[in-house]
Order: sequence, then structure tokens, then C-alpha cells
Amino acid sequence: MDAARPLDQSQPLHRPPAGFWLWRSSGTSNGTSDGTRPGYSLLIPKRAVIINSLLILLLLIVVTLSLGSGSVSLSPAEVWQALWHQGPAINQLVVNELRLQRVLAGLTTGAAFALSGCLMQTLSRNRLATPGIIGIDNSATAFAVASVTGTGLSLAPSSMALAGAATACALAFGLTGASGRGGYRFIVAGIGIGAIAGAMTQFMLSRVAIDDANAAFPWTVGSLNARSPEATAALAACLPLALALSLRMTRALQLMQVSDAVSIGLGINLKQVRRNGLILSVLLTGLAVAVAGPVGLVALLGPEVARGLYRHKGVPLVASALCGALIMLAADLTGRLILAPLEIPVGIVTAVVGSPYLLWMLLNPSFKNTP
Amino acid sequence: MNSFNRAIPTEHIHPAVELEARQLVAGHGDKVIIDGLDLNLPTGKITAIVGPNGCGKSTLLNSLARTLKPLGGSILLDGQDIHRLPGRDVARKLALLPQETSAPEGMSVEDLVRFGRQPHQSWLSQWSPDDQRAVKRAIKAADLTGMENRMLEELSGGQRQRAWIAMAVAQDTPSLLLDEPTSALDLGHQLEVFELIRHLSADHGKTIVMVVHDLLSACRFADHLVAMHDGRLITQGAPGQVLTPELVHQLYGVHCDILPDPVTGSPMLINMHRASKNPRQAPAKAPISGDNDE
Repeated sequence: MDAARPLDQSQPLHRPPAGFWLWRSSGTSNGTSDGTRPGYSLLIPKRAVIINSLLILLLLIVVTLSLGSGSVSLSPAEVWQALWHQGPAINQLVVNELRLQRVLAGLTTGAAFALSGCLMQTLSRNRLATPGIIGIDNSATAFAVASVTGTGLSLAPSSMALAGAATACALAFGLTGASGRGGYRFIVAGIGIGAIAGAMTQFMLSRVAIDDANAAFPWTVGSLNARSPEATAALAACLPLALALSLRMTRALQLMQVSDAVSIGLGINLKQVRRNGLILSVLLTGLAVAVAGPVGLVALLGPEVARGLYRHKGVPLVASALCGALIMLAADLTGRLILAPLEIPVGIVTAVVGSPYLLWMLLNPSFKNTP
Repeated sequence: MNSFNRAIPTEHIHPAVELEARQLVAGHGDKVIIDGLDLNLPTGKITAIVGPNGCGKSTLLNSLARTLKPLGGSILLDGQDIHRLPGRDVARKLALLPQETSAPEGMSVEDLVRFGRQPHQSWLSQWSPDDQRAVKRAIKAADLTGMENRMLEELSGGQRQRAWIAMAVAQDTPSLLLDEPTSALDLGHQLEVFELIRHLSADHGKTIVMVVHDLLSACRFADHLVAMHDGRLITQGAPGQVLTPELVHQLYGVHCDILPDPVTGSPMLINMHRASKNPRQAPAKAPISGDNDE
């Protein structure tokens, strides 16, 4: 992986630390004054590359399965043909017009929820501090339901969901003194806000005509059936940007995992990292809820699986996003197939699978709070 | 551990930095612990901050290390307010080893020491030859060569603490702040860490400021003693000069005699016994061994 570069014999060999590949450019450092840097040097963690490649491979398989299964069953080969606009027109219609949107929605929401969860868990140094548990999902839902059931507000449910997420986070922060410290108070305040938002949702649903309540139902359980193309597009546009911005913070997040004092000592601007990370996390959750409703458990499960794969080393942002997408798609596929032609909303599937896992995690004697 | 005697090239001896507290007011929330403290730290020397529990010594160190924002006054680094300088710039001049050091599991010595390079790295320079040299040098200075790939949880307490110090050394700063670097270590491991600190001061020319709980170790290993009580600076100077029975009494409410150590010459406290709260019952310098004074 090393770029060829003439090495001065007096200099020690430039080697990467154990477990990394080093990628560097030929710079102007050798022979000149001490301390001049080469053009650039990048460290690529081997394990992350391998794990993420495997996850992407797995994701491709699940995507293909997802595109191929349903009332019209297609083989993987037929799916790929249809994706490239080849093969029978009916296949192209089924794949590109009917199923692709849904799969894209699943991919992006799963990735967004899990990335959001990983960020928030790391920032608050608590594995339970995911947007779903601290009430951001519920609040986003309450706002969306308010707009669906027509409270005079003509805003689209998607933007309302985003507004709800931001409101919940601002409230939780306001109540805990915006210190960023005291993870527990933040979580407890969030749980309270989530409970209030949940009650408001139920109240609104009980007051409206049955048709409106039906229209709002997918918002309350989380489903990929009710997605709006605009919301999916907004999320798809923001997700890569959010991922890039989060990756920029990787090193700071890793240090914050160790301790605040150590991070400050190494020149990390904690306030800035916390603020930016939280904004990213809330934005991602809001956008994802706008597409799929509250499927918050993915935000807990995705990072959890990713950390396991990384053997709890570092902050697995990319792997969390990939795991989240994988879980979301797998859950949606299961929900579609298991009682076909009836369809179980993805939120219910993740709850059925995720809740026992959450309990197992909490009751596990070796449970540790920190991610 | 007498292997801290490797020659270090002179280029790694740093130009000294000035660190001082000006009219510092510090505390937690509404509780003011230090109220108006002025302190200049001698450059290129080891300063030990001593005093009884709750005297504000850790508060002072945390203020110097900017992990605690002053309620009033300022901390100056080379004449500039430390909270107005960019964090990275400060981190290139000032390294900190906090009291609470717990690393996530599965972290190797080298992983930890590499963290110290953070202020020198950027997106496009994640592992420069300088980084490699500094990490190697830090591991060597802390006498951990050959243990780079050991997990932190496998090390002894003293080795682990040396790995943490190596992280701060890799930061390559002219000054180093340590908060109780030997707390929770047994006697042998304490010496191991203090010898490393002396080595860093003597051979690397670092300015070192440490909070030390044990007065005797402070006298033995520091060049400069800063004694605090109740948030105030009581006295400062060379341990041999400022450490008097009166000071010990003022700081800890303990009566004692002081003798120079016959070997090292550093002050030793002997015949210690607790001063009674009631002045009428205070024994006037009991010439006995004090075993009935517990």
C-alpha cells in the first residue's frame, strides 16, 4: 500500500502502527530541515476495511433479496438485469418503480438511525442514550401525527418530524442545563419528554375521525410503506454529508471515549464536538423519522452490533451505519414475507427482535454503561 | 528501574514556557475554592503542589491545565490567556495527565501513546515520520520498549501509569502537568513513576508541575514546593528551605521534627503525632514515639 518514496538511510523507516495501512505521498521532508512534513499521510485501519467490505457485501445480498421478493418473485439475476433497465418490462416496473424506492428508504433510514445512535451514545458516553430512548423519535412522531390529523397546520409531516426532533432535543437540553455533562439527567429528561410526546400522539389519534387515524397509523409504529419520496430524497442527500462530517470527528470521539480531561489536554474542543455531534444526531433522526416513523431500536442495535464486530475498539461510525441499514432492510423483508400477503410494519419487527436484545443487554452481568 | 539513562539528542530539549496564575479564582459551580491566587511556576524544574485534602491543589492544577475554567482571574501561558488560545496550540505546549485515567478495554500501549500525537496531526497528516519518532521516543523514555503491543489491562499499575505518562511525553510539549501521578500505586511502583518524572525533567528539560499527596515524595523528587491550605498559597520554594515543622503543623495539624535524609539529603518527617483540637491538651513536642497518640 506504500507509495514508493526514496528513503534517506539516516531516517528510520516510516512504518504504520500495528493494524494499519499507511498511505502517503512523496513529500519534501527528507533532507530538508527537521520537522517538515510530507505531503500527506493517511492511516487506514485494516480491521475496519475488512469488516466494512463484508458488511457492504452482505448489504448487497439483502438488497437483492429485498428487490426480488414479494408477490412477483424474481431471481437475483433478474433483479440485476432489471436494475440496469434490461429484461422484461414487467420486471423493470416491479424492481425500479415499486420496490427500489422502498429499499432505498430502508437503506437510508437504517443507516441514519444507527449513525445517529452511535454519535449520541459516544457523546453521552452511555449505550442507552439513543435518540429513540431519549424521546426524540416520539416527539418527531407527535409533530408528524399532528400535521397528518390536521390541526390546522399545513406543513408536510416530514418537516414537522424534523421540527419535533429538534424541539425534543432542545427541551431535554434546556431541562438539564445544556451542560453536556450529566448524561443521566439528559436521558431521564428525554424519557419524560418522550412519554409526554407519546401521550400527545395517542390523544390526537383518539380525537380524530377513523380515516385520519388510519392515515396517521404508520407514523406511530414505523413503516417503510408510508414513506414520501421527498422525505427519502432529503435524507439521501443529507446522509453522505452527515457521514462525512461525523468521520471528521472520529478522532475527537475516540478521545472523548477515554476521558474529557484527556481530550482537553490533547487540544480537543469538547464543546464544539458535542454541539456538532448532537446537531448531526438530531438531524439524522428527524430526517429518518420523517421517512419511516419511529424505528428507534435500530439506533440501539446497529451501533451495538458494529461495536461487537470492532471488538469494542474505537468508534465504528461507518460500520454502525452499515449495520443499521442491514437490520432495517432485513426487518422490513421479514415483515413483508412472514405473514404475506399481510405486512407487518418494520417498527414492529425491530421491536419484537430488539426488545429482548435490549433486556438481555441490560440483564447481562457484564453490562457496562459506556459504549 | 535504573535504565533511564539514555542520551537524548539536544534538539528535543524544548524552549521553556512560562506558566502562571494571575488573581485566579476557581471552584465548582458556586463553591469558590481558590480565591485570588498568584503563582509563577519555575521553568525547567519539577514543582510539587502539596497540601491537605480539599486545600485546592487539584483545583489549581485543573485550572492550569484548562480542564477547569476559572471563575475569575486568568491562567497565562507565555503571557497569553490560556482560554483564548486555540486548544491545539495549547496542547503543543502543555500536556496533561489527569488523575482519573481509564482507557477502554483492548487498547494497546502503542494505541494510547499515539493519542499523544493528536495536536500535531491533521486530516492529511495522520502519521508523519515525526509522529513515528515521537511515539518511539516516548515509549523508550518510559522504558516500555518491547511492550508496545501489550494491552493496557495486562500491565502492572506502575507500567500502566508509565504508559499514560508516555502518552503525555509523545505530545512533545515543553511542560507537563500531572495530577497525583502515583495515587493508587504501591511503594515500588511509586518510585518507578517518580524516577521517570525526574528523568523527563533532567534529560528532556521539561517543566513539570504535579500534585502530590505524599509530602515526603514531594520533597524527595521536586525542585520546588508549593504549599497550599484552604485555597491559599502558604509558601513556596526549595523543599529543604520551606519545609519546617511549623509549615507541617499549619498544613496538616501535625506536630513533627524534620531531619535531612542521611543518604539523599531531602527532608524527612519524624516523630509525627496529631495536634489535638483542644489547645490546652496539646502535647508540647512529646519526646516519645507517639504510639499512644493514635
